[in-house]
Amino acid sequence: MANNYRERPVALGELRGAVDELISNALPLGCYASQRTVRTIFLSQTGPLGLRTVLGEGEKWESLARRYPFFSYHEREMQALQGIDVQSSPDERPLYFSSDAIPEAIVAEGKGISGVVVGPVHAGIIEPGRFTISTGGESVVHIDAQLSYSHRALEPWFEGQEALALAPRVARICGNCSVARSWGYARAIEELAGVDLDDGTEFARLVLAEMERVHVHLFDIGSIAAGAGYDRGTTAALGLRERICQLNHLVSGHRLLFDSVVPGGVKAGILADPEIIRTTLRELRDDVARFCDALLAKRSLLRRLEGAGVVERSLAQRFAAVGPSGRASGIACDIRAIAPYGAYRGFAFSEELAGGGDVYARAELRVREIARSFDFLERGLRELEGRRLPTPRQVEVAAGVITTVVEGARGAESISLALSATGRIERLHVISAAYRNWPLVTRAMEGNIVPDFPLVNKSFNLCYSCVDR
Amino acid sequence: MSQGKFAHSLGIRHLVCGSCNGCELEMNALAAPQYDVSQEGWGIVASPRHADVITVTGPMSDAMRHAAQLTVEAVSEPFVVVAVGDCASGDGVWCEAGSAGPGAGRELEASIFVRGCPPSPDALREGLRAAATLLDGRKS
Repeated sequence: MANNYRERPVALGELRGAVDELISNALPLGCYASQRTVRTIFLSQTGPLGLRTVLGEGEKWESLARRYPFFSYHEREMQALQGIDVQSSPDERPLYFSSDAIPEAIVAEGKGISGVVVGPVHAGIIEPGRFTISTGGESVVHIDAQLSYSHRALEPWFEGQEALALAPRVARICGNCSVARSWGYARAIEELAGVDLDDGTEFARLVLAEMERVHVHLFDIGSIAAGAGYDRGTTAALGLRERICQLNHLVSGHRLLFDSVVPGGVKAGILADPEIIRTTLRELRDDVARFCDALLAKRSLLRRLEGAGVVERSLAQRFAAVGPSGRASGIACDIRAIAPYGAYRGFAFSEELAGGGDVYARAELRVREIARSFDFLERGLRELEGRRLPTPRQVEVAAGVITTVVEGARGAESISLALSATGRIERLHVISAAYRNWPLVTRAMEGNIVPDFPLVNKSFNLCYSCVDR
Repeated sequence: MSQGKFAHSLGIRHLVCGSCNGCELEMNALAAPQYDVSQEGWGIVASPRHADVITVTGPMSDAMRHAAQLTVEAVSEPFVVVAVGDCASGDGVWCEAGSAGPGAGRELEASIFVRGCPPSPDALREGLRAAATLLDGRKS
């Protein structure tokens, strides 16, 4: 595939107008800086599109987040890492910090308002974040989510490294979206180099990505049950998920499929017996369907799920919500449908949508998406039967700038890459679905009761590692 | 005390210090029926004050360093720190990358290192059993 990323220069003074024009018919992907060059990127109907703005000496970036709050994290990140001077930002706190300089939390003030702080260490096996909850009685008035506890300044560290040699690290930026991110990274390198892959490799990537989606969605459904205090549901979901992790190990040598998608192809020897995998998946599919039907018929559970953590469609749109969390509020944002790539191009696929925007909608939508994943798996594996997958091909790395977008289990995962002619990384910017969706979690909680925070939070189940990097 | 029925039960407090979340996925898998470590009397506890074991993942991040130290200081003796995964053990892919530390398990002086990227649930169970045995020795 050739590089279908396009970019055009836009002067600083004209940027706001260009964004106003694009935002109504393209999905904003964010903005990021490479030294003094800022790219504001969108997924348009013709593919990823960048607006390239070069800031002169002393020139300042006028915050887009004032009008489009979606850009807030993105702007804070380029201020922190590339030293871009962002003017009139709605949140001027440093995005990254060390233990001895943690920024003040934003709290609500007023008669009868009190506060609760949780984190960064939590009573569970979860990543670190600090939540400062302002409450009026039992109801949440405001939540300030301070992430970044996992920040390791990885992106500046990537610069200058060999792009091909970095692939195993890219696979480990986040354990939940490893296949999706590896696929986006591989595509970026391949599309810059103009490499075409054989159909077998493309189907293998689709199969691996759908196996990842099934194990993450099952985990998320189990987490929702846990958030509602229904341990039986959590245990059963983890049991089903374990079966797919064991299958992952059998087919790829890794329970979470790390390193299964590599630049130039898929890991050698992977998915060697598609017929056995299909048989195993058919049994699993039936058990998953039975479990999900029973779970969503449990009335005491439904009473917790329904009406909790509502994200109205307008709010989801304002924050350019992606993934199951966006689709549960009625936003069409499945990259497999709106900008198909790889073997998804050969499928007539209409994405699953829901309207409620509550915890129930996010759970039920995932149940339907798992069923669609099993459809993809069935067909993808059938295509692999009788084919011998080639070993990954050598990629002659070519210079250029690109953005690719892939649908991970939690939504749009984008990779923005600038490569030198010697195959080294000039800039690698990773924006995850979780990064885009975090602002929704706190807003979804407003007006809900404090004990529902774990439930509402788990209904998004966003990762931190790919957000913080 | 250590010879009784609950000799090998463990209260576990989990610390995430710049991990990719892969280790967390496998720690969570321990609650699946295939492993069900609650049968061993093991569980995640709501405070470090209730913990016998600190499990720690990741290379260590600047923002977590102080909270991690405070967590370990809050645990009553005797306790064991278990480094989970290659990053916490000191040679994972994120050790010394960017501003990352050399391994959270090394900084927190772990006694047990469970290797893997991430370690399998079986390996984690073995590591926690070793922690229970070590703890028995420290109690007597």
